[in-house]
Amino acid sequence: MSKLLFVLCILLTAFFAQSKPISVSVLTKLNMPLGNVVVYLTPKNPRPSNIANKVEIMDQVNTQFLPHILAIQKDSQVRFPNSDSIKHHVYSFSQAKTFELQLYKELHADPLLFSSIGSVELGCNIHDWMLGYIFVVDTPYFGKTDIKGHLMLDLPDGEYQLDVWHPRIQDKLSALSRQLVLPVESDIKIILGASLLPDVNQYEEISGEFSDYE
Amino acid sequence: MKKYQVNFLIMNKILKCKTALYSQTLPLFFLSLLTITSDGLAVEVKGLVQLNYVKASDQSSWFEEDTGILAYSKNSANVQQAFIELSDNFSNGLSYDVVANYYQLGEQNVGLSQAQISYKPLSNSKLRWRARVGFFYPKLSLENVDTGWLSPFTYTQSAINSWVGEELRTAGLEVTLYSPGRTRNSPISWEFHGSLFKANDPLGTVISWRGFAMHDRQSLNNDRVPFAPYPSVIGKDRIFHPNYVEPYHELDGNIGFYLGTHIEYYKQSTLRYYYYDNQADPLVVSHERLYAWRTKFHSLALQHKFDGNTRVLGQWLSGSSVMGNRFVYINFDAWYVMLSHKYKAHRISLRFDKFKVREDDIFPWDPNNSDGHGVTLAWRYDLNKNWQIGAEQHINKNSADIRASLGQNVEIDQQQSLAVLQYRW
Repeated sequence: MSKLLFVLCILLTAFFAQSKPISVSVLTKLNMPLGNVVVYLTPKNPRPSNIANKVEIMDQVNTQFLPHILAIQKDSQVRFPNSDSIKHHVYSFSQAKTFELQLYKELHADPLLFSSIGSVELGCNIHDWMLGYIFVVDTPYFGKTDIKGHLMLDLPDGEYQLDVWHPRIQDKLSALSRQLVLPVESDIKIILGASLLPDVNQYEEISGEFSDYE
Repeated sequence: MKKYQVNFLIMNKILKCKTALYSQTLPLFFLSLLTITSDGLAVEVKGLVQLNYVKASDQSSWFEEDTGILAYSKNSANVQQAFIELSDNFSNGLSYDVVANYYQLGEQNVGLSQAQISYKPLSNSKLRWRARVGFFYPKLSLENVDTGWLSPFTYTQSAINSWVGEELRTAGLEVTLYSPGRTRNSPISWEFHGSLFKANDPLGTVISWRGFAMHDRQSLNNDRVPFAPYPSVIGKDRIFHPNYVEPYHELDGNIGFYLGTHIEYYKQSTLRYYYYDNQADPLVVSHERLYAWRTKFHSLALQHKFDGNTRVLGQWLSGSSVMGNRFVYINFDAWYVMLSHKYKAHRISLRFDKFKVREDDIFPWDPNNSDGHGVTLAWRYDLNKNWQIGAEQHINKNSADIRASLGQNVEIDQQQSLAVLQYRW
């Protein structure tokens, strides 16, 4: 009986110490929801996390990067498959990761390791309209807002710094940063102060098929 | 009778023709390049074969030295297209691209239609540049956007690009300054192209005598485009020119140029304008009696995609060509408009073409006026990523005054039906 009580106590403690979902909303200056925003919470007392061999995917589909924005944890690897029937030549000049990769159709390139935090802007030297981002964070607690500007995250109680990132945000990112104590605060709303950069994602809406002879 | 011939000899600076020097050395150059670069590198090989059954027009074509403006002369099964494209990109920004074709129709059956080396340095700048050198097409066309400069829309191409494919190729250098809109957070992308080139001096010959035609036969590197033996052309006491043209010769040593601009709104709407001038000296004639034709034109191409599946595109070409001391002088105008819709694996395209050549020269006995219009309707269905089937119906009404000199009707109606099986890899 005492053993059973002990186990129950452990389970209950574990349950209450366990994560509680928090909700984050990102709204523009005009109070419109902003989707695809990377939201990441960095714990004040980080626990060691092992992400060895974690491989994320940044695909090329219909001469576009898919996803447009990929959020990954530092020290993850990213594989760049090529689902198109034509070749790509992916590159980045960003400080967080400078590289170039020839992606022949039906040939698999080795995944690349991303060990520095920050944004990595991707281009293709064959298809100049292609643009994608990899955003590298140093925490296991991150995600992207949905089309309604919402993100639900499960994370353990504790103190965190919440940050957001999106290539169209012009606000100073440190000004959008929040210090949080969980579970006290669980419904967070970020409202941008500056206008967004123009939305040019229409580049992704109409396919590049038979646009030019390459 | 001899007066004209003497005049020609005096007036024309007869050059020792550098017989297709460029076009003959080109394949060797690229083959050796391939041998060097293929070692351990991933050369990309693409290829395409189209087999057709054609129900041909009653009027035989220029390939049979007749006056029809459609490629086929009898009902038959044919290899319509066959080519291999070899290309590779290197990390230093260099790439090459060679297209080797086989054609059943025509004079040169195996050869190169394009061979170029490009340099496009990796850049994250808003303003970038690139260059290419070799034997290539200026990017005038929004119709010829498939591999091997084929049209993914119809098999029988527009009058404009049929002519470009058979007579025009740039043997030279093109430098491009460009700015991709996405790097500027702008929906507008633009490019400026400038080119200097040699060769291509006889450009304009075939549309002056035969007139515009509609087909998909691209001339190869050392090709010869035949046409009917019009008495005013071949007569020794007349213009005294063979009833063919080898379009890629350098005859006068002059350097031609073109300038072009592309403006694009997202990937949705595109405008391309080019001004082309081969700067040829029209008084120069080779021992083969091929002339340098001073040919200049403006080309304006437009495309708008309503969505990912439906687009309208068109092109307008207007220019002039002169040979000799105004022995032949023509103004030409052509345009087309095409609607293309993709539904699942089906693509249906409908094109209307109109073309006109008007002369203003000194020889009334060599009539060069021709014109016509045509409608082309094509259906193409992708069975899978390799196989495609398709069918096309083309009709046109065309006239060429010069037919009268062969005892033919000046004005004719032509139609052609095609069933095509295509394999690509």
